Amino acid sequence: MSLIRHLLVIAVLFGASVSSGASVASRASAQGSSLARSDRAATTSSVPAEVLVVLAKEEPGKIDPQLEKLTALRRPPFNSFRSMKILSRPKLKLTPGKDALVSLPNGRRMKLTLLRVMPDGRYKVKAAINRPGKSDYLPLLQVVASAGDPFFVAGQTYQGGTLVVGVIVDPKKSAQ
Amino acid sequence: MESAKTEDEKLQMFFDGELAPEEAAAVRRDLEGSPQGAAQLREWERLREAMKSVSADWAGELDSDALFARIDADINAPAVPIERPAQEQPALRVVPGGRERRVWGGVATGFAAAAAIFLAVMAWPESHIDPAPTTRGSEVLEADFGSNTGTIFEVEGGAGESLAVVWIDDEEVGLP
Repeated sequence: MSLIRHLLVIAVLFGASVSSGASVASRASAQGSSLARSDRAATTSSVPAEVLVVLAKEEPGKIDPQLEKLTALRRPPFNSFRSMKILSRPKLKLTPGKDALVSLPNGRRMKLTLLRVMPDGRYKVKAAINRPGKSDYLPLLQVVASAGDPFFVAGQTYQGGTLVVGVIVDPKKSAQ
Repeated sequence: MESAKTEDEKLQMFFDGELAPEEAAAVRRDLEGSPQGAAQLREWERLREAMKSVSADWAGELDSDALFARIDADINAPAVPIERPAQEQPALRVVPGGRERRVWGGVATGFAAAAAIFLAVMAWPESHIDPAPTTRGSEVLEADFGSNTGTIFEVEGGAGESLAVVWIDDEEVGLP
């Protein structure tokens, strides 16, 4: 009988500890969930991103085959361009709260900062395009974008054409 | 014998009128110098009166003649053997000590396993749960065009998602 009592005591104690443990785990999970919803940036490390620098011109010419998948570039306001050439396609890692710089061919620099991951999974990104030490073009732009979906900054004139800069945040892409 | 009587017993017998006259006189003399004894007697007297009152009330409500007639009838009635219905004996099972331990051990193990499963489910990291469907596309939250003029467009992407386009007019800048 002593063995039976011993087993029962073990079972009861284990059940009690499991209940309290589950409660703690549940609270921890809830806190983690709350944290994730409020600001996942604190726990997100770095997210790969890609910047697509395209020189678009109205003169007839070639459309870079790599841009064919970006059907948005064939729609207004881009549909007036007859030629598009990829000038650079740098890949980088966006780290929360840390600026990532991309040099543009016109001497300006694009500064990208991952602010946070939104509750719906989209990325809140801050962007600025300026000459070094100046804020003469785009002082501030804040965008939310889902993974793999680009946002574009266009309008800079360069070599008789227009620069179209696309930014894609995509965890599936590997940064170089 | 009488010397063995305690004071309480003597007092009780005095109250009930069971003491010899000389003993009753001695108790009466003792009570003159004993307020506690006198108070005890008053308490017993109060109880006795209360019981007499209740008994008188019950006696007034009771038809004692009818009650005794019914008792006499029941006593004189012929005895009838009581036939008890055959009761089905519960199935008894002899459980040897070793088997009993195994049974309780199994119960404890089952309980522990259930608790472990409960803990595993409750503490399962949220990251293993499929996230809510994310919103596709990109959108501008805030834009500061500085001294330039700009326009924000929405362009439809390949999957029908809305993509943000920020168009800023500027004068071409040369290389620094």
